[in-house]
Amino acid sequence: MSQHDRTHHAKIATGKGDPQCFKGTTGGPPKFKVGDRVRIKDLPDIFYTRCQVYTRGAVGEVAVITHESPAPEDEAWGHVDHSEWFYIVRFKQKDLWPEYPDAFGNDSLQTEFSERWLELA
Amino acid sequence: MSHDHHHGHNPPAPMVDEVSDFEALEIAVRELCIEKGLFTADDHRKFTEFAEHIGPTPAARMVAKAWLDPEYRKLCLTDSLTACKAVGVDLLNPTGFGTPSDYTDVRVLEDTPTLHHVVVCTLCSCYPRPILGFQPEWYRTPNYRRRLVRWPRQVLAEFGLVLPSEVEIRVEDSNQKCRFIVMPVRPAGTEGWTEDQLTEIVTRDCLIGVALPKPGMTSNIKLPVHKAAKPAH
Repeated sequence: MSQHDRTHHAKIATGKGDPQCFKGTTGGPPKFKVGDRVRIKDLPDIFYTRCQVYTRGAVGEVAVITHESPAPEDEAWGHVDHSEWFYIVRFKQKDLWPEYPDAFGNDSLQTEFSERWLELA
Repeated sequence: MSHDHHHGHNPPAPMVDEVSDFEALEIAVRELCIEKGLFTADDHRKFTEFAEHIGPTPAARMVAKAWLDPEYRKLCLTDSLTACKAVGVDLLNPTGFGTPSDYTDVRVLEDTPTLHHVVVCTLCSCYPRPILGFQPEWYRTPNYRRRLVRWPRQVLAEFGLVLPSEVEIRVEDSNQKCRFIVMPVRPAGTEGWTEDQLTEIVTRDCLIGVALPKPGMTSNIKLPVHKAAKPAH
């Protein structure tokens, strides 16, 4: 029989919430700060990811440092002993979709990444 | 009834409702969980009742309170867990009987006269259920999820929301553990309104960002009733 504890997440999150239950588990400060220009890496994503293909290679700006949590690419397989900082990154729509109309050049899009996906641009 | 009589134009409804593969899967997993003791049948009934009664009212009241009270507005933007408690939702224990049900990093996206937020989850259908209830069907469709990130103005126009180019549209693709609600700008014509009156015009669509609150537009609005063209006798 499987030795996997299916109530593990419920136990650690009760009374604290998830992702709050992972606070302090990266063991260090975030690598990027609000305002940093970052490029989204195009890492291999076999099996599972929550990093959208449309953001790969795009450059944006760190808008919010949100929390610490295991990355979904690990957590999906029950690997929760290593956490990362998470960042909401803001892109100009024009930088994501070249055909986006110039008339709406101010439009933007935000989405979130764990630290492994980001590099300084 | 005679068997010679053909009902070609109006076939009868099937006698047995079809059960989809997903429904069969849900029943199988649920029964296994109950047999293994992960939860009881009674827990399941209570959770179903919880899930079926939640709606967007707590989030609507949050916005209305924030419009009226600058201190509470600050709380919404800095400590949403406490702000949610003020409208009766404890995100750490939303069911009231110890079932953690959702991620709890809730963020309020504040609109300004020149910035409008709209929320989507391109990867599935992430949504702050304890304060906003269950997603509308369209929020889960690949059509909305694929198109909103790329053609937000066209999709919003389909919802009847056309914004001038001076207003920046900011799409929030909710892809991780943060959950979002939009705090729209308080509309003109609501001066002197009470919290209850304001809560009524902050409908679910306003909280997702596909509509703007307007005096007179509430979720319990009376729609015109048209007479049937061929009334039943």
